[in-house]
Amino acid sequence: MSFALLLAPSLLSALLALAVRPYRAAVGWANAALSLVAVAGAITLWVRVLRGEVPVAGADDLLRADALSTLLALCVSGVAALAAWLGPGLGDDGWGARQARRFRIFANLFAFTMLFAVTTDNVGFMWVAIEATTITSAVRIPLHASQASVEASWKYVLIGSVGIALAFAGTVLAYFDFVTLIGREAVALNWTVLQDAAPALNPRVIRLAFVFILIGYGTKAGLAPMHTWLPDAHSEAPPALSAMMSGVLLAVALYAVIRWQAVVRVTVGRGFAEDVIVLLGVLSLAIGALSLVAQRSYKRLLAYSSIEHTGLICVGLALGPLGVFAAMLHLLNHSVAKSMMFLLAGRVLRRYGTAEIEGVSGLLRVMPWTGGFFAAGMLAVLGLPPFGMFVSEFALVRAGFAAGRPVLVALVLVLLAVGFVGVLVHLNRMLYGRPPAAVTLGESSRWALVPLGGCLAALVVRIVAIVAP
Amino acid sequence: MARGALALLQGLLVLALAPGVVGLVRWLKARLQNRRGAPAWQPYFELRKLFGKEVVVSENASWLFRAAPYVVFVSTAAAALLVPVLAVPLPIDAVGDLLVLVYLLLLGTVFLALAGLDPGSAFGGMGSSREMTVAALAEPTVALAIFALALSAGSTNLGQIVARTMSDPAAALSPGHLLAFAALFVVMLAETGRMPVDNPATHLELTMIHEAMVLEYSGRYLALIEWAAALKLLVFFALLGNLFVPWGVAMALTPATLFLALASLVGKLAVLALAVALLETRVAKLRLFRVPELLSASFVLALLAVTSSFLSR
Amino acid sequence: MESLFGQLVVLESSLVLIFGLVLLWRRRVPAYVSAFTWQSLVLGAVAITVGWFGRERELYFIGGLLVLVKGVAIPRLLGRMERRFATERELAPYVNTATSLLVAGLLVLFGYAIMRPVVAASDLPTRAGMPLAMGLVLVSLFVVVSRKKALTQVVGFLMLENGIALLAILGTYGIPLIVELGVFLDALMGFLVMQIFVYRIHSTFETIDVDQLDRLRH
Repeated sequence: MSFALLLAPSLLSALLALAVRPYRAAVGWANAALSLVAVAGAITLWVRVLRGEVPVAGADDLLRADALSTLLALCVSGVAALAAWLGPGLGDDGWGARQARRFRIFANLFAFTMLFAVTTDNVGFMWVAIEATTITSAVRIPLHASQASVEASWKYVLIGSVGIALAFAGTVLAYFDFVTLIGREAVALNWTVLQDAAPALNPRVIRLAFVFILIGYGTKAGLAPMHTWLPDAHSEAPPALSAMMSGVLLAVALYAVIRWQAVVRVTVGRGFAEDVIVLLGVLSLAIGALSLVAQRSYKRLLAYSSIEHTGLICVGLALGPLGVFAAMLHLLNHSVAKSMMFLLAGRVLRRYGTAEIEGVSGLLRVMPWTGGFFAAGMLAVLGLPPFGMFVSEFALVRAGFAAGRPVLVALVLVLLAVGFVGVLVHLNRMLYGRPPAAVTLGESSRWALVPLGGCLAALVVRIVAIVAP
Repeated sequence: MARGALALLQGLLVLALAPGVVGLVRWLKARLQNRRGAPAWQPYFELRKLFGKEVVVSENASWLFRAAPYVVFVSTAAAALLVPVLAVPLPIDAVGDLLVLVYLLLLGTVFLALAGLDPGSAFGGMGSSREMTVAALAEPTVALAIFALALSAGSTNLGQIVARTMSDPAAALSPGHLLAFAALFVVMLAETGRMPVDNPATHLELTMIHEAMVLEYSGRYLALIEWAAALKLLVFFALLGNLFVPWGVAMALTPATLFLALASLVGKLAVLALAVALLETRVAKLRLFRVPELLSASFVLALLAVTSSFLSR
Repeated sequence: MESLFGQLVVLESSLVLIFGLVLLWRRRVPAYVSAFTWQSLVLGAVAITVGWFGRERELYFIGGLLVLVKGVAIPRLLGRMERRFATERELAPYVNTATSLLVAGLLVLFGYAIMRPVVAASDLPTRAGMPLAMGLVLVSLFVVVSRKKALTQVVGFLMLENGIALLAILGTYGIPLIVELGVFLDALMGFLVMQIFVYRIHSTFETIDVDQLDRLRH
């Protein structure tokens, strides 16, 4: 039942948007309402998991929700709700009816595939869902067919699909290993079964499989060196879509990596998986942080920041159980913060008409609330207290020392500092100074700020909730 | 003793048969093009004519020019002796293995190229450089293709390879064999100067490779070189036929098996001649800079053949 | 019977790989499309062969799907695309043909090397073909990276999927049917989306040379 509450709304919204032409605002409102139902579904699952039970549904345990799944389900449904409330099609915001309708269809399908990916127990279906996310999100990147957006979406589709195909190769290899050792069963692709069988699997084959899987899902998560599509796609997509992509799609891809890592760790023993992940993580962190300094567009700035954080999460995954905890916390915080930032960036874009940092100045004077939230959000993303990211980064550093890798931690801190300085410089330029003449002052649609403010509050509350126990 | 005599006989047979094969290819090509064509034994008359003619040598030519036809002829004939034609095993098999074969063929090619350069004519130099480009890519492929077979046979001795394939018919269908056959076929076209690599009937500057190198030769030198070219074609046909489809090759030395061997040899030569004639009629000549692409493709095929043979031992 | 099965399967797998190599050798898109068509048909034949000898009924279905979707439907769409952009041939790729072929050969060798533990772990008669499947995967990856025309990249991607499907068929006699169907659907959808984008690229850029896609830097 809870699963239905979680998964059905987005599917229904998509169908509704498909069925109703021409597009009416009512569809958008229905979408928004249904998205809240999905959030409620996620919360009920969360509650049930906290109580200790493991909800399952479907034949062969198709859907299964353990702690990690519900956490991510909460994330995804939350961000999807944000996108539904603040996306195109609700009220007068400059989007055409056709585009709004298309957006609603595909964004909801996108949300559905992501939710399905995190709640399914079957590795194969998870792969199918993640591949579907590429397709559903790519279609909507070029809302206006400009050269830049077409280029961005082509890169995204091609690199994403190729990467995902490699992940499938890895899945096939792992399945092959299982089948060779244990025999063919319909449930062979289930996590639980794989995990139980993990000690018996052939380490060399699993090692090869994991390399493919990491490269594959890492492509979707924005791990370097497969990250080249990310800045383009995230900056060219409409804000609500960027929010979903940067916020939760990366999280879902990393979820897949985390699941596989759990299996690989048992089969191959400590060390191999961790080494590979750390390597790619540090690389992403470096590329992200260094690129932040020379950015000219604030949307690309946010995108590179996502790469940086993905790298950070991966480093955390390699630092033992404490590190994994820190990484997951960071995952959560990042999805909330980044989605909020992209939506705010959308507001800035609509007002200023340009995505260049040069073109934006005097933000605090033009849109005091938006500017304020933007600044706060940026500080949050940079890992300053009192926001949640600070806690997770701190936990990561602590895990690093506990795992006995001070050099790694030092490197991470240096890179983070570099990114920090770079972003602050740009932020400064955007917030202060005289606003350009053509820009009108004052906020538009103030009510849209409420959920964004809510996000910010959530980031602060996180700290309290975590630090307490 | 009998085997020694047979080896000698085999050598004479090959020498005698070679021009006939070339004539057969030409005749089939003519027929396919709706011409009547000269009869298949025309090349014999040509050879006889050439042997009777006077030799004209350029003033700039050195001893190399006069020696080259002999070297080419002898090396190709030696290679022809090594190839399993009628029966295996023969006493010459002791020295007859894959690498020796490749080197003998290469010796001939190199000397011919040098001879093209020697008189200092423009056409000769051009032909030689083109020939070396082709040879550089083709020779390794020959080695690799036969090596693929050698891997499954466990020895590079050609007679052994034939014996092994005869004893294990299913192996003839293995991908290693088929890939090696394809690679060797392409290389055969390149090495013997057939379409689509080189047009044997043209004397246009744009399209000559082999003909350019031998443009300066006349009389008995030209006869020897033409004969050597025919022998080379026969060598490759024999390799293609007897290594890959060895049924018919005699193991024991009885008149019946020998006769069967002769008949199957002629049959295989005819089939291959038909294939080459068909190809020459249907396919246009490749532009010169596309030839390395074709040869790289055949090299990769040979590489795949070796890998596949190696890993499915 | 066993060795015949193994031989046949390896033979067909080699053909599949060779059709993949055609993508590096020829220069015109119609050649690519027909190479892909033949490859998919042979792949369907592999599925049916394994289904027959391995007594897996599901594989007949998979083979049929492969032939229908990848052997007929997609090539037809590709052909239509190719006719639209008929005036363009593959421009000089980033790596020239002869070098590409040699790199492909090396990639196949590399594929053999990394698949050693996998082949050693298996005891199915089809295991000898698995390195060929991996070779195809690597070669297709190389095609996607080194070619300049969007259509060629799409065909390269389709061959990548063929390679992985071959790996699945040879290694485990196919993955569970439901998942396989999902994969097929995904592949089809993915291809359709790519097709849309190639048309978009053509209408926005007046060419499908992806080298021209350089508006976004840093």
